[in-house]
Amino acid sequence: MLLIHCPHCREAREEEEYSYRGEAHIVRPLAPESLSDEEWGDYLFFRSNPKGIHHEMWYHAVGCRRYFNVTRDTLTYEILESYLIGQQPAVTGATS
Amino acid sequence: MSRSIMQKNRLGSGACTDASKRIDFSFNGKAYQGVAGDTLASALLANGVDVVGRSFKYARPRGIVGHGAEEPNAIIQLGSGAATVPNLKATQVELYAGLEAFSVNGWPSVDFDLMGVIGAFGRLMPPGFYYKTFMYPKKLWMTYEHFIRKAAGLGATPVERDPDTYDKLNQHCDVLVVGAGPAGLVAAREAARAGARVIIADEQSQFGGSLLASTQTLDGIAATDWVAQLVAELQGFDNVQLLPRSTVFGYYDHNFLAILERRTDHLGLTADQGARQRLHRVRAKQVVLATGAFERPLVFAHNDIPGVMSACSVSTYINRYGVLPGNKLVLVTTNDSAYQTALDWHQAGRQVVAVVDTRTDPQGDSVNAVKALGIDVIDGHAVIEAQGSKRVKGALVAPINADGTAVTGSARGLNCDLIASSGGWSPAIHLSSHTGAKPQWDEQIVGFRPGESKQQERSAGACRGTYSLAACLAEGGNAGAEAAKLAGCGDGTIHFAAPVCQEYAQQPQQALFLLPHTQSTSRAPSQFVDFQLDVTAGGVELAVREGFESVEHVKRYTALGFGTDQGKLGNINGMAILANALGQSIAETGTTIFRPSYTPSTFGALAGRDVNQLFDPERYTAMHRWHVEQGAEFENVGQWKRPWYFPQSGETMFDAVNREGLAVRNSVGILDASTLGKIDIQGPDAAEFITRIYTNSYLKLAPGKCRYGVMLKEDGMIFDDGVCACLGDNHYLMFTTTGGAAGVLAWLELWQQTEWPELQVYFTSVTDHWTTATVSGPNARKVIAKVCADIDLSNQAFGFMDWRDGTVAGVKARVFRISFTGELSYEVNVPAHHGRHVWEQLMEAGAEFDITPYGTETMHVLRAEKGFIIVGQDTDGSMTPSDMNMDWVLGKNKTFSYLGKRSLERSDTTRDNRKQLVGLKTLVATEVIPEGAQIVFDSKQKIPMSMQGHVTSSYYSACLGHSIALAVVKGGLNRLGQIVYCPLADGRIIAAEIVSSVFYDPKGERHHVE
Amino acid sequence: MSSNSHVQTPLHYLHGAFNKTGVDRALFNDQVDCGVVIKEAPLSAHLNLRGDAEDSAFCAAVAAVLGVALPREPGFCNHHQSASIYWLGPSEWCVITIDGDAAAIEAALREKLSGHISIVDVSGGQTLINLRGANVETLLKKSTVYDCQALAAAKPGQCRAVQTTFAKASAIISNRCDGSYDLVIRRSFADYIGQWLLDAGAEFGCRIEG
Repeated sequence: MLLIHCPHCREAREEEEYSYRGEAHIVRPLAPESLSDEEWGDYLFFRSNPKGIHHEMWYHAVGCRRYFNVTRDTLTYEILESYLIGQQPAVTGATS
Repeated sequence: MSRSIMQKNRLGSGACTDASKRIDFSFNGKAYQGVAGDTLASALLANGVDVVGRSFKYARPRGIVGHGAEEPNAIIQLGSGAATVPNLKATQVELYAGLEAFSVNGWPSVDFDLMGVIGAFGRLMPPGFYYKTFMYPKKLWMTYEHFIRKAAGLGATPVERDPDTYDKLNQHCDVLVVGAGPAGLVAAREAARAGARVIIADEQSQFGGSLLASTQTLDGIAATDWVAQLVAELQGFDNVQLLPRSTVFGYYDHNFLAILERRTDHLGLTADQGARQRLHRVRAKQVVLATGAFERPLVFAHNDIPGVMSACSVSTYINRYGVLPGNKLVLVTTNDSAYQTALDWHQAGRQVVAVVDTRTDPQGDSVNAVKALGIDVIDGHAVIEAQGSKRVKGALVAPINADGTAVTGSARGLNCDLIASSGGWSPAIHLSSHTGAKPQWDEQIVGFRPGESKQQERSAGACRGTYSLAACLAEGGNAGAEAAKLAGCGDGTIHFAAPVCQEYAQQPQQALFLLPHTQSTSRAPSQFVDFQLDVTAGGVELAVREGFESVEHVKRYTALGFGTDQGKLGNINGMAILANALGQSIAETGTTIFRPSYTPSTFGALAGRDVNQLFDPERYTAMHRWHVEQGAEFENVGQWKRPWYFPQSGETMFDAVNREGLAVRNSVGILDASTLGKIDIQGPDAAEFITRIYTNSYLKLAPGKCRYGVMLKEDGMIFDDGVCACLGDNHYLMFTTTGGAAGVLAWLELWQQTEWPELQVYFTSVTDHWTTATVSGPNARKVIAKVCADIDLSNQAFGFMDWRDGTVAGVKARVFRISFTGELSYEVNVPAHHGRHVWEQLMEAGAEFDITPYGTETMHVLRAEKGFIIVGQDTDGSMTPSDMNMDWVLGKNKTFSYLGKRSLERSDTTRDNRKQLVGLKTLVATEVIPEGAQIVFDSKQKIPMSMQGHVTSSYYSACLGHSIALAVVKGGLNRLGQIVYCPLADGRIIAAEIVSSVFYDPKGERHHVE
Repeated sequence: MSSNSHVQTPLHYLHGAFNKTGVDRALFNDQVDCGVVIKEAPLSAHLNLRGDAEDSAFCAAVAAVLGVALPREPGFCNHHQSASIYWLGPSEWCVITIDGDAAAIEAALREKLSGHISIVDVSGGQTLINLRGANVETLLKKSTVYDCQALAAAKPGQCRAVQTTFAKASAIISNRCDGSYDLVIRRSFADYIGQWLLDAGAEFGCRIEG
């Protein structure tokens, strides 16, 4: 049971208010038709699965209905930061 | 029932018992008496009950060893019938009048154990027995398991409904203190004084922990009196919640802990009032773990004979309960602390035969106190074997070498009926371990200390290896103040002086776990490590000889620590013996990780109030009570209760659905369609946004018009469908499937918030606001006309796929002319508080046309007759619009690459032999194919047959007079007219012709009726 | 115009419902002490409002029409007389006016507001219930994972309010700062929540009033 800080509600709330929405920073290609099947497949199906720092998207479903990003350690489950969609993480795997 | 009221081992009142208040109870069918404050274990010991169970594998008689959660042997079943509780530890069951308990293991009885007589079972079950014997052949496992369970006994689950209620509380606190022994109590007091919201929980009925059995004084008063004062002080704080009889059984992520509070178990089997148990779900800012330590028994030959106990447990029974579990004591120890037991035993007036110390010339304060009483202290010796069968009759004592690995001289027998042993202490690091902290071996304390944790917690007192009372009290105070400070309360100042208590000078303990025998471990009589699962020192060594090196593997191979006691007594001894066999240190060997639960919890408490009708929310429409009053049968659609069909008296479901369907086709029916998801969409970019979401375009949809749309996931697969209406400039109303409503709203928000924030559009769920009554059938217009005067209902003024605002039955309404039946249909939407009124008015208006309420089943039949798909029934997340023969819904000239479009050109989505939606008409008109049936082209093919598709929807169509089905068949659209076969599990094969999926009114003329 | 005589609020069928361990339903009268009393507000105007909280003209216009300032800080709601505005999200609010006319409020707001906004009448879709009594906080602890003590941190003229889980459904929970709490719940879940409250409140007694 994680305790997740919502950057919109500006407080930590229980995991059951949220739903997990997968890896963050996956950008939809601007011109899907110009991509090969492989390139489109990469966008559709392939996600990183790191041991350690992971940037992921959460939806505050039973709260403010806003999406936001979280940097979480997949090993310890520590949440290192929450940040708004469109922002870049302050904590990255490279620096840890 | 025989009767015995002699409590031959009752000394009098203990610190927590009142010998003047007698309590009747029974054990294994025999009547006994205990006293108020007893546990079942203390009462059994008072009555001289030696054998409380039989061991799992060898069926050896077993007696009570401990006094708390660590007890491996006294596993009992409480009561019988619905409220029976299996697998409780007698040491944790508080005695109440009329308590009935039974041993869970021992068949047919503990005293005359059939398996014990056969005696062969143990030889059948060496370590690794499960793997070697039971895994092959696999199909026999069920047989073995039945035999093992009956023979070894793992308790009986109640087969009746649990009569009790259970409850949950979501708690939040600044500081949670786990354990109300000396360290925990002072920690709670400091945190409370600092202003923190404090919860202090302890698994026992009384706070005090080890102090309840202590003969020490604090600030000059008896330990139990000091505890009472401190508890009263804590009760005086508004910000402290005291939870006795409450086990913190799990420490989960981000300082979330679970506490099982037993509210009425000490009063009897069934709670008369309120909840029997309560689960506290605690989110704590800071945690203080003050969980104490378990005394480690020494491992020696036949150490499982009843009458071999932990030294501290013997003291606890004397001091706390007033019970002397024997007459003549031999104490064997590696340390000073156990000498207290000899003092207590002597003080109680019974004979201490000898204290056997594995060390040479011990000189600590307690040691000298024992010697001063003239008690024989035999140093440099060990008890190498217990003698007796159902009760200890003697102890075999022999000199050993300095490192305790070998017997150095001849053994002699000591006559005794109780052997108390102490191999030192193991900190109760279970909760710390739950956090992922790796236990650290400490040579000084000869035990594992809690490791570094990522959670906001600290340990204080014996659970971090601090054993002197004064040090425990100091640590507790510091921990409480520090936790409060980190939780934002106070500055960490200690406000209360630590109480003054006696200090005893101690000498170092010896790190010894397995006492040597004159014979090698493999040849010596069984030296038990894990009593509950009959794991011996020889078994651990055998595992090593068979090649197991990792502690986790050895644990699984031998079953060490797998019992309901979770190896609280045996694990460390097992690790030590393993380390020795591997020729490495305990630190190198490591330990297994403790996981929740610390002690078992009931399913009832975990379920709480989420049972019966509250198991899952039931969502009702505004007309729900009307449907109930009409005797509707209901279907679960998501969490909604939807009327399935409305049986009239004597009607079967088949009859009712046929009648309802014909009524719609021939006159008029009415359906509660309120559960459909509805999303209000507003904003200047609304049209652009929904055009990116749907496969077709909404850029030119005019106000007053509706359009049917399908939405795809990015992989091109259909994910939801429905009608979308243009309500005005930049304003739309989107209908979703009933089950898809929340998912679609989250989907829209996802794309707007994360990918296209530049599009100005807002989404609001209005599912609950609107109640929808769908009036459908050739007479629908006539019914609506009777209750709606301000909408021109003519085909010219109000065409198919239009909507109009108006007044229906006196209520402002929005009417959509859309149809899921193929008939003329009006969907009347009103705010839900008017829902039942408008529905009843429509029923009244339709009475002259025999208006017929119909349910979801008839709706399904009618739409299937028209070949309309239901997302989630005819699709399964792997179907594209083309697979559904719905290319017409794909916008061909859209400039933006709508969601899923690119995937429709992937090689997999464009291949020829994809499953495609077709109709099936059975050759025998009355035969209805079961939904989900597989389809083959060649009914004579041998198994495994080539499966070519499956049936997604199948019904009997009353209006067509034959069975119809929708199916997905490989290349199905090129196979119209072909015969396919559905081989069923019962051996039947149903033959059907592939036909168009539109069975009824293929030209779509009926909904244009004038 | 429609007559309101046939109106059914979401908890309509539970008005008068009562549960207390050990007390026979048939013996129930108002004298039976209840630790929690739940009262459903009459049919009211409920609107969902969307707009830019950074747009001072938007905020001013809302305040002018409703007579209540728009709460711009997360987790707060403002009350004035019969009107309340709850913060739901950074651009989303719930407006409730007891006994109010949603259509009239929407029209008044639309006249004053401009730009990218959304106003949606959700009056039929939700209801407001008030929970009062000695055991309210215990009942809330049984029902929601949110720390209701955090709702006590009200400011003058403002009360804390959050949208969170309630049993297995959801609710807006707000501390009225008078010892009672308001809950805004969805219509389709109202029966479930009503039954939940009656069950969870049985130990100290619980009744529902219309």
